[in-house]
Amino acid sequence: MVNATIYHRFSPNLTSNFTQKAVKILIVEDETGLRDSIEAYFDEVDCICETACDFNSALAKVSVYRYDCIILDLTLPQGNGLDIIKHLKANQYNDGILIISAKNSLDDRLTGLDLGADDYLTKPFHLSELKARVTAIIRRKSFNGNNALIFNEIYIDLAGKMVKINAQPVKFTRKEYSLLLYFIANKGKVISKNAIAEHLWGDSIDIADNFDFIYSHIKNIRKKLVEAGSNDYIQATYGMGYKFAEA
Amino acid sequence: MKLLAKYNWFNLTVTVIIMGFAAIIYYFTIRSILSNQVDKALLVEENEVFNYVKLNKHLPQVFKSNHQQINFTIARQPVTRQFIDTTFLDQKENELEPARAIISKVNVNGENYKILVILSRVETEDLIEVIFIITIGLITILVMALLIINRLILGRIWKPFYQILEQLKLFNLADHKPIHNVSSTIEEFIDLDQAVGAMTLRVKNDYQSLKAFTENASHELMTPIAVINSKLDTLVQTDQFTEKQSKLLNDIYGTVARLTRLNKSMLLLAKIENRMIRDDEDVNMKEIVEECLYQHEEIIQSLNIDLIADLQDKQLHTSKLLMEVLLNNLISNALRHNYANGKITITLQPQQLIISNTGKSTFDIDQVLKRFQKSNESEGIGLGLTICNQICDNYDFKLQYHYINEMHTFSVNF
Repeated sequence: MVNATIYHRFSPNLTSNFTQKAVKILIVEDETGLRDSIEAYFDEVDCICETACDFNSALAKVSVYRYDCIILDLTLPQGNGLDIIKHLKANQYNDGILIISAKNSLDDRLTGLDLGADDYLTKPFHLSELKARVTAIIRRKSFNGNNALIFNEIYIDLAGKMVKINAQPVKFTRKEYSLLLYFIANKGKVISKNAIAEHLWGDSIDIADNFDFIYSHIKNIRKKLVEAGSNDYIQATYGMGYKFAEA
Repeated sequence: MKLLAKYNWFNLTVTVIIMGFAAIIYYFTIRSILSNQVDKALLVEENEVFNYVKLNKHLPQVFKSNHQQINFTIARQPVTRQFIDTTFLDQKENELEPARAIISKVNVNGENYKILVILSRVETEDLIEVIFIITIGLITILVMALLIINRLILGRIWKPFYQILEQLKLFNLADHKPIHNVSSTIEEFIDLDQAVGAMTLRVKNDYQSLKAFTENASHELMTPIAVINSKLDTLVQTDQFTEKQSKLLNDIYGTVARLTRLNKSMLLLAKIENRMIRDDEDVNMKEIVEECLYQHEEIIQSLNIDLIADLQDKQLHTSKLLMEVLLNNLISNALRHNYANGKITITLQPQQLIISNTGKSTFDIDQVLKRFQKSNESEGIGLGLTICNQICDNYDFKLQYHYINEMHTFSVNF
């Protein structure tokens, strides 16, 4: 894992001597199957994952260690995940918090966000969506929203929603831009067409209707990247999905 | 027929019949009493004639009178003494009046005379008439008094009944308003009130637990679905797959996505019915329509659909989520049931939103509004319009469907 770096746009000098710091993530989830999958998905060179399977062990961990992002299930054995958020805020810990809950109840969602959670994701979700959300939280936390994302020759100004390739601006549509960010957040992973469709159109739209459109969006992104002199990073993987990776 | 009307009808019929009989009996009684009196007066006259003849040995002189007439004629045949009904010629007014007469005989100096005393009954007839009018007047007044009293008393007595009935009419299972007790001093109504209260409470509890079950079941299903989903996401990272394997994986992905949507729709429906979505805020409908069209732009382009959108600004104080769901469903439907090179018209006005589209087949809106009803070619899950309808119900909007000029037209009146 080398080329993906995040740096502050107002201090570009940092890039030269920027040392890659691993992000620490805590996964609080009582459902073993789900916890293992998330852990496996996040298990990368630059990411350290810890897990907690109940309220008490989660509370013990957040009392001692600081995390870049905590993936927090709300319905836990021994307690409510919302109390962990309260504990963090009471101690003025600035960990990023992403709530994952089967209860798509608005009350929980609003309470969670009011208490200071950064985002809320309803089960079931795709791991790629989770990864994109966690990445976004960490990015926001580290650089206060004013930041840029660089992947080799691709430079993305997140505040201005602008993409430059080799310092030349390239125009992407809203969906193409969103898809590009999604790919970069999930670099090296196979993203299924279902996950892409849900990311682009939400879950209220019949996903099967949109598979053909994914192809044309990706074709456009690829074309724009290549025409601007970038490498072609998007690979189709055996009819199932796409992967954004170094060639 | 209303209870009051039925009761009044019955009551009045009986009253009128009884009063009618009473009037008839009354009439004949008075008539016979007055006849008797006239007869007595005739007897008095007869007696006077007898006394006069006895004393003076000749017939009395006859004076003309207004109401009375006495005739003496020589009787050739034997005369039986009897009372008869006859007429009397009133010479002043020159008209015939009903009269009563007595036929009798008297012997004056060995000669038999027939006596005919006629007494006009016009006065008694007048009296009967007056009495009859008074009686009819009394009946009328009595009937009217009965009507008014019935109305007042019945209205008051049956008030609790109508209150209970009104509440039953407004009763809505999904509603959280309780049935209020209706106070009454009448035992039957107290019973009815308690029975209705107990019944609605029981029905509501049953319904609530059924809904809670649906909701809990959907919730509990979410976690295993999440695990399947995440395992699939993990699986596709592992290795190269053959074409056959990836086809299978795609099918599983698709099915899980379908299951998820079905489950989410059921949860959403339960929540809307329970009015658990209460994040009302000022929502700009125009923005939502535009966003929704943006979400569907690919399919609109690929079907080459002629989209005509006439959108005016419209603010609503509602849940943004629900408005998005409403528009998403309506617009998805308009696209799903459309054909290539078809047409969609979306009009947003301050009073209403109209979405009309060309489409393949007609359908019965009442059927479609039922859960899990869908047309054969539909790939949806059959809850879309049910959800739309429920959302509109919650906000007192009116969702209507018409088939106009070969366009399927849905309108939402705010």
